[in-house]
Amino acid sequence: MGPKMDSDSALRKILPRFLTNSFAIAAVAALFTLLPTTASPALAADPAPAAADQQCLGCHGAAGMEKKLADGGTLQLHVPADAFVKSVHGPNTCASCHTDVDPTKHPPEKNDIASARSFAVSMTQVCRGCHTDKFEQWESSVHAALVRNGNPAAPICTDCHNPHAVIKDAATKLDQVPCKNCHTEIFTAYLGSMHAKSRIGSKDSYAPICSGCHTAHAVQPTSLGQGPEAACFGCHAGVLDAHQKWLPNAALHFEVVTCAACHSPDAQRKVDLMLIDGKGKAMGTEQIGIPLFDASTRSDSKGIDALTLWNLLQNLNRNGVVGNKTVLRGRLTVRTGPQAHQLADKSKALSDCRTCHREGSQAFQSVTISLVGPDGRRIGYGANADVLNSAFSVDSVSGFYAIGGTRIMLLDILLILAILGGGGIAVGHVTLGWLFKRYGFYHPYTGGHDKPPASGDGPKAA
Amino acid sequence: MHRLYIHPLPVRIWHWTNAVGFVLMILTGMQIRYVGLIDLVSFRTAVTVHNYVGFVLIANFLLWLVFYLTSDRIRAYHSELNPRKHFIGSLRQVYYYGFGIFRGEPNPFQPTIYRKFNPLQSMIYQIIVMLLLPVQIYTGILMWDVKRFSAQVDFFGGVRVIDTVHVLIFITFVFYVMVHVYLGTLGHTRLAHFKSMMTGYEEMDEEPAVEPAPPDGSRRA
Repeated sequence: MGPKMDSDSALRKILPRFLTNSFAIAAVAALFTLLPTTASPALAADPAPAAADQQCLGCHGAAGMEKKLADGGTLQLHVPADAFVKSVHGPNTCASCHTDVDPTKHPPEKNDIASARSFAVSMTQVCRGCHTDKFEQWESSVHAALVRNGNPAAPICTDCHNPHAVIKDAATKLDQVPCKNCHTEIFTAYLGSMHAKSRIGSKDSYAPICSGCHTAHAVQPTSLGQGPEAACFGCHAGVLDAHQKWLPNAALHFEVVTCAACHSPDAQRKVDLMLIDGKGKAMGTEQIGIPLFDASTRSDSKGIDALTLWNLLQNLNRNGVVGNKTVLRGRLTVRTGPQAHQLADKSKALSDCRTCHREGSQAFQSVTISLVGPDGRRIGYGANADVLNSAFSVDSVSGFYAIGGTRIMLLDILLILAILGGGGIAVGHVTLGWLFKRYGFYHPYTGGHDKPPASGDGPKAA
Repeated sequence: MHRLYIHPLPVRIWHWTNAVGFVLMILTGMQIRYVGLIDLVSFRTAVTVHNYVGFVLIANFLLWLVFYLTSDRIRAYHSELNPRKHFIGSLRQVYYYGFGIFRGEPNPFQPTIYRKFNPLQSMIYQIIVMLLLPVQIYTGILMWDVKRFSAQVDFFGGVRVIDTVHVLIFITFVFYVMVHVYLGTLGHTRLAHFKSMMTGYEEMDEEPAVEPAPPDGSRRA
């Protein structure tokens, strides 16, 4: 892929060319302005390229047309005329978007497009002109953050919407949804879910596809914050009441257990402990930035242990203000993205308390400590499972506890000592009483009345 | 044999309700905490029983509180403010249970209506009913509905802190109940104290000590 090109530099590049070619463009635009009033009825009946576009399509309509670029790649220049006129962009013309093209100097003698990617990134500003709201949503997304961070695979407008063949509602169709191009494993898992099965089974199904939960443009990393549960509750209203009928502390379960942890019964579960600052926001790697976490990812490491984690929190809060401290927010979730999407029918959901509330539960054997990476995505560092059941966890993981599953071993030892001690006192005391009688040290006090010892097998107590 | 009425009916109701309640709470608590190791009933059943019995014990605690707050017998729970006197009394009691009882010596403490607890009992019962039991009730209520009381749970540091306190007191109660039952067998017969707690009358060989008059002349319950 070519070098990174951000949106501002692309705009700076486009605008001067726009101004220098204004005369030619104005002439073409004047022609296009007239078209809607004269040609629309004909287009509605029998879609065909606008007259002004015929000239463009004369060349660009040829299959296989492409241009070699400076980076050695190619830029596809073929525009399928039929698909274009049938697309939602059909009423537009070539020059509506390609405002920088000067028909009198086209094709340009000098090829100054660095790469197909940089060209596509620069063209996103054209999309912004009409789709401002959608573009701004995208700018707030993790996808845009990845683009800004130089990720060459992060999606921009044209990666999901083919500008020359964009079809309305294509993103809501299982066979056309663009998300699967990158998130193939997740989409495959989704196809096995009850959501996908519902859509496959009925065209009237309102079961969600990708954008139903993640939104189409303002896509956020689901492993941050509260995840997509809000989307679940958007459709499954009243689900808390339904759970409260059988699940003790249902509201608490909803807070610390993701929906998928139970409704994806075949998934492997884990505990994710996210570092939260005093303002309630997930902490970024730049705030921690210490080699501790990197060391935990070494192959010979069992991850961050309980004492190390406790020391880390002590250091983070050394200069903290009371009530404004860094804490770990724990959630029980599934280990991978695909597992989060293979949601089963509710009859198969986990409802056996023993799954989690017992020693050695699989759910608590995998622990990660999460930070937010520079691109806005979660970065999970492996932690030793003892961070959940060490005595240090009372302080360091004070907000996450599953009865039985993450109990502190030290308390178990104390309980055993208490039982042994209580029983030992009784047995020891009885034994001592027997020994005193056996060896003649028992001399019952008569209180001066010279009475014999009271009957019964117990020691006389006055 | 002299008989002294030292356990009024409300106290006996409270005591035996507590006894049954504590055993149920310990058993269901063990089941809740040690699923897999103990499988007497399901986790959910154990939680449900634990919650219901917990509320019964809260009501029972209020019965105890109201009774003693409205009775002059509350003097049984008055602290011995003279540390020297309390220390010497406790030492005598420890000596008795640890040695004197084996030699057949008399119990250095003789109960009266207003002083029915020996120095060790007095100290331990005050710690249990005035400190540990209220804390156990409070932490239990917080864990009964963590979300409803999340502000208080967070104030004390989180659900694991609350649970740890609850479990530490639970462990103390397990030890206490075992020792309490054993000490109950150290009357003039093995069952004397148990009978006393059923009938209300403590049987004594000697004439009960002269009662100190209630300071305000209030009635006996």
